Order: sequence, then structure tokens, then C-alpha cells
Amino acid sequence: MKFALAGNPNCGKTTLFNSLTGATAHVGNWPGVTVDKREGIYKKLEEKVSIIDLPGIYSLSPYTPEEVVSRNFILDEKPDCIINVVDATNLERNLYLTTQVLEIDVPVVIALNMMDALRSSGSKIKVVDIEKAFGVRCVEISALKNQGLDELMKVAYSEARRPRRGMSVLANSRISRVIEETTNKLNEEKIESPLFHAIKLIENDEIEIKMHPEIAKGVEELKTKEPKDEFGGDYEAIVADQRYKYISEHFANTVIKSQDDSGVTKSDKIDKVLTHRIWGIPIFLAIMFIVFHLTFSEDLLFLNGIFGLEIKNEGFINFLTGMGAEFDEETGAIIPLAGIPSLGVFLQNWMGWLTGAIIDLFRGFMPEGTWYTGLVCDGILTGLDSIFSFLPQIILLFLFISILEDSGYMARVAFIMDRAFRKFGLSGKAFIPLLMGFGCSVPAMMGAKTLEDEKERDMTIRLTPFFSCGAKAPTWAMLAVAVAGSFLGDIFVFSIYLLGIVVAIIAAIIMKAFSKNYDVPPFIMELPSYHAPQFRNLMAHLWDKAKHFVVKASTIITAAIILIWFLSSFSWAFWEGLVDDIDESILASLGKVLQYFFWPLGWAQGAEGWKFSVATITGLIAKEDVVATMAQLGLCDEAGETISFALSNSRIYAFAAYNLFTFPCFAAIATAKSESSKKAFPITLAFWFFGSYVISLFVFLIGLTFEVAWWVGLIVVLVLAGAVVLAGLLVSKRKKLQQA
Amino acid sequence: MPIVVAPENTVLKIIKILVDEKTKRHLENLGILVNASITVLARNDGNVIVKIKDGRLALNKDTALKIFVA
Repeated sequence: MKFALAGNPNCGKTTLFNSLTGATAHVGNWPGVTVDKREGIYKKLEEKVSIIDLPGIYSLSPYTPEEVVSRNFILDEKPDCIINVVDATNLERNLYLTTQVLEIDVPVVIALNMMDALRSSGSKIKVVDIEKAFGVRCVEISALKNQGLDELMKVAYSEARRPRRGMSVLANSRISRVIEETTNKLNEEKIESPLFHAIKLIENDEIEIKMHPEIAKGVEELKTKEPKDEFGGDYEAIVADQRYKYISEHFANTVIKSQDDSGVTKSDKIDKVLTHRIWGIPIFLAIMFIVFHLTFSEDLLFLNGIFGLEIKNEGFINFLTGMGAEFDEETGAIIPLAGIPSLGVFLQNWMGWLTGAIIDLFRGFMPEGTWYTGLVCDGILTGLDSIFSFLPQIILLFLFISILEDSGYMARVAFIMDRAFRKFGLSGKAFIPLLMGFGCSVPAMMGAKTLEDEKERDMTIRLTPFFSCGAKAPTWAMLAVAVAGSFLGDIFVFSIYLLGIVVAIIAAIIMKAFSKNYDVPPFIMELPSYHAPQFRNLMAHLWDKAKHFVVKASTIITAAIILIWFLSSFSWAFWEGLVDDIDESILASLGKVLQYFFWPLGWAQGAEGWKFSVATITGLIAKEDVVATMAQLGLCDEAGETISFALSNSRIYAFAAYNLFTFPCFAAIATAKSESSKKAFPITLAFWFFGSYVISLFVFLIGLTFEVAWWVGLIVVLVLAGAVVLAGLLVSKRKKLQQA
Repeated sequence: MPIVVAPENTVLKIIKILVDEKTKRHLENLGILVNASITVLARNDGNVIVKIKDGRLALNKDTALKIFVA
């Protein structure tokens, strides 16, 4: 048997799905987290039942692509029972979808979710009212607190075996005659769920008209015979109005609200502050800064920078921070730590200790100088260590972002960012996928499905890789060490992230200027109530992330590492055994060809340039491979903490820029292909290819002017920025003239 | 008057919606249709947060300008 979970966005379908099937699907407190259907098994009944979690929908007439998924499933795959999940705290709006689901010839059970929240506000629901009006069973549950789930499934199981005919709340309305005649016509053609299709035809539903063009013409004729009214023959509006009228008439007193319910909730009060006209954006930036600071800073709260706090790096403290003891060789003194490291750095250091110990262990066991010791120690372990040492920080960053998601704050951020985004040609809704891009481009691009406009979706997907993903972070951290001599490493990393955002904004403006007839789509978004993040949910999310990382590391990344090891350890005459000098290897000869292509960008020049060229290419397999390859080729040590190459800052910056803007990994490219329109995908590929090359070249050339003298560089940058602004003004002026 | 300039925390009635077809349908599905009650909860430079039924909706300025209430 097959049960489908259908309901409004953010009404708790996925939470219910997780509770029923033991899955750990991603849950977030904003509308549109689930963008594709997923399946799980419920085992507590006599037979195993598959449960299908569908993306949230407000109506069976789709508005965004993920809503099409739900409609198609319900109509085409014919589940044995639809469990309509209804948010009891917003009953009337949720029952609007119910009135449409009921029109299909399929057993339906209503699950009144969030009863715990409703009860805690002192309200009650008269369930009998709903059951009587709709003729289907209705069960009170709380998916979050695991209440009423077994009963729900029992009811659904028994209902699934009783066929049900569709019923409509419009049966006695003033358009009942049109409905009846259309239903009869569909019946003659032996179409399933005739009532549902009849009403969709009357609503001028696009998909429906395409399916039955002949009958649609007949419906138009029927409509002309009907008297005109206040809606002026707008049948979509009439149908919507009739549905809501029915709901208000029948269920106005179904929710018994407590006496002291003033209508203004705690959420509304929080929103007064967090979505404030002036303070909204600064509060958001402050929150994000704290998140990054707690994850990446080596000087917590700037205790060292501002207050000069220093602690001795010895004994227990050294053990605690995991920084490794530092002694001044000459004087024998213990060097103080520059402030207390943040939680992220603590965890990273501990991880480094652990992986370092494992490598030493292996080295101790295995004979020196054999090919298999080389493969295991210098190849696989070195490569994996360079990646794993960053796992704690990535997980921590995800924890913070999950907390923000789960509380309901992200939906507000989309709202306050809308004003700014609109100027760049995107709506605030695009903010959420782009922000997810800081974690991983793949779910971020999939999240773009919640955007209703095709052009906006394509633009968002194109810009997603510029929001530096977690897998790129090790590269920045390693390069930060290389530039640290001249200025602070964390400022370097911050500037890379910033560069990504700035280029994304400029690129968005350019794309907007070049696309004709493009209006930024309207921003209409439901704001869920705030709630405290659920521990179980956060842990499930982190577990998923860690698992994904480990699986990736142990499969595709290890495979890439072995390949690189082979190519770098053998010459074309591989039967002769290991090469003594890496310069004679197969990889070197391949890399030296690539080097010509990258030569103008600065970082590929010189004797070691081919190694950098190879590293950017292996990054296509997985971005973590950039550092892993560099470690294997001897450009840095396994933890990415000691650098053995000498590049000027401008070249390092150009290298970072190239890696930031070039093609994302294969997984992300495949996602981009499946999520963007056919027309846009080749342009997207060209955009990544040329964009990264040009930007890297620019960064290198500008960097060179800085190396002449800092003020020369500054003048060049200011002149260029001025030219960009001027060009922008001219384009927007011309656009306005054209429109006028 | 358009909802952008409507008073906050007052129950208002929607009298006209002047947006394109697709957006209008979406608004209707969310409960924003002629004769429905609506309350403005907060305003952010023309963007508004409204209460409709028991839910909270965020609307950008352009959309809010085209929803008329009394």
C-alpha cells in the first residue's frame, strides 16, 4: 500500500514523515524545504506501507515547479490513501487545499497537526464539525511530539480499503450547474476523478486545458450562459471565493479560542524587532558575523586583539586548545597563545591530532620506501587528512545555519533582503538557496525550485557556486597560511567570501541588463511562527551532513587521490617502477600542457605552476581535492598548515579567484543541468568557464599594480570601480528610456 | 487605499486586487481575495507583513501597492 502526505508548505509533513518512517529528511521552519517527493516505509501495521512525502502546496493548481511534483503524484500514481496534513493553528487557510483534495476519487484522511501548539495557547478544535462536513475521518496529531501517529495510521489503513467518490464543497453553490454538466461530459469519456478535472477546467487551469482542449471549449460556452457578477466572469476568483465562503460558513466556530487571545502573538512581537526597517539588516549581519567568528576565529571575542589577553601554551591548556605546544628554541620559553581559539578552531585542532596520530601509526607499521607505503601514507592518508581536518568547522557552521533555519528566522531574512535583492534583479526568495550555497551547491540549486520564475531560477543557479561552498573552505584556509606573512589570514578568507558575493551582485546586475522582458517576480512568502529549534532535528541534520562528507571522502575523493597518486608516481614507462622525481611523472607532462592555458593568470607560471593547474582540474571531482592534490604534490603538508611554495600575494589571490568562480564539482554541474532550463544551461557553463578566467586575470593584473606600490593599485581599483558604476548608470538609464 | 498605506493592526476588507493572472491565482490560494479580512502587522519601507486568516504573509512593495483595502 501507498499513502501520500499532502498539505500546505511548512505544515509539518516532513516532520511527520520522519516520525513515521524513522528517516532523517531535512526539516526547516520555512515554506518550501521539501522540493522533491521522497519515500519511506511504515512498519507498525499488518503490512508494510510506503509513505510518500510530497512538497508543500497551497492549491492543486501549481504556481512553482515543486508544486507540479505533488499534483502529478496525487493524480498519476494513485496512492491508496491521501493523508492531508493540516496545520491546526491556521485551519481555514489549510482547509482550502483540503476542499480540492476531496474532489479526487481517492480515500482521504485529515491529520490535524500542531495540536500541541494549539492546545498550549488554550484553544480547542471541534473535530466532529470537519468530519461531518467533509465525510472523511479526521485525527488530531502532533508530529513533533509523536502524538496520535499510530491512531492516524490505523485510521488511514482502514479507510484505504474503502473506495471513496470525490465530493465538492461547490456542489450547492451558484456554479453547480456548470460543474455538473462538465462532470457528465468527462464521465462519458471515462476519465478518472471527473469532478476534480471538471472544476479545474472551470478554473481555467493551464495543465487541464492542455489535457482536454475539446471539453474546455464546451466549458467556455457554458460559462457565457451564466449571469455576470461582482467577479466579472473571473471563474478562478469565483471558485476560490466559493471555497473560502464554504469554509468560513462551516468552520467559523470550529476553533474555540481561549479568552486572552489578543490576536498579536509572540512571533509578531519578535518580528517587530527582527524585521525592523532600519535594524533588520544590521541584526542579520551581526548574527552572521558571530556565526563565522565562533567557527573560524583564532582569537575569540578579540580578547587578545583588544584586551591583550594571552595565555601560556603549556600543559593542560595546550591539551585543551589542541594548538600544539610552541617553544622558543633559543630561550626555551613557552610562547603564549594569541588569545583563546573559537570552538571551531578547538575542534579542528583536536581533529588534526587524531588524524596525525593515525598517519604516524601507519607509518610505524609499514616498511619504508615500498610502493604500497607510498600509496597508503603519501597518497590516501595524506590526501584524506588534508580534508578531514576541516570537517569539524564545516559541521559547526552547519549547526549554526540549521539553528537559524529551524527557528524560522531564515524566512524573515528573505523578507528583509528582498528590497536589496530587487535592485540586483532577484527577489528575496532567491536569498535562501544562495545562502544554502555556503554549505553545498547541490541542495542550494535544488532549492531554487521554490522560485516561480524560470529566468530567476536560471540566474540563481548560475550564481550559486560564487557563494563559496564548504568544500572550498579548506583551499582558502590553506592559502590563508600562504599569505599570512603579509596580513591576517582570517581577513584573507573573509575577503574571498566577500569577493564571491560582490561578483555575484555585479553578475546579477549584468544579467538583468541583458535579459529582455524580465521583471523581478513578486515576493509573496508565508512567515511561519518562530519556535525553539528541535534537538532531534538538528542532530539528524548534522548526522546527514557528516555522513555525506564521509561517504564522499571514502569513495569519490579517495578514488581521485589514488588516480593522482598513480599519475604522479609513475612515468609513461610505468613498468619501470616509481619515478624518483615527480617532474618525470605522467601527471607532470599532462600538467605542463595545462600550464600553457593558465599561464596568463600568474599562478601557473614557474616550475611548480603545473601542480596548481592540476589541482584546479581535480577540483572538478570534488572541491576538497584541490587541497588534497596540492598536499600530494608536495605544495603543502597534509594538514594544509605548512606551505612549501612561494607565490606573491597577487598570484595567490588570482589562484583563489579562479577556484572560486570556475566550474563547481561534477555533482553540482549535474544538478545545474537538471534544475535549469535547457536554453540556459550551455550559457551557464560558458559563464563559469570564461567568468573565472577573466576574473582571475583581472585579480592578477590588479594585484601586480599593488606590487608596484600600494597607491598605484588603489588608483587602478578606484578608476575601475568608477567605470563599473558609470556603465551601470548608463545601462539603467537607457533601460528606463526604452521603457518610457 | 493600497495596503501599503493602510493603518497597522486594524482589520481591513480587501476590495480590489490588480495584479497579473498568475500572481492573482497564487494570492487567492493563500486567502487574499476580494471581501476577505486582512490586517497589516508590520511595514518595512513599503514591504509589508500582513495577517490573513491565521497566517502571516510577507509581500513586497509592488504587490502591496496593487491590493486595495477599505
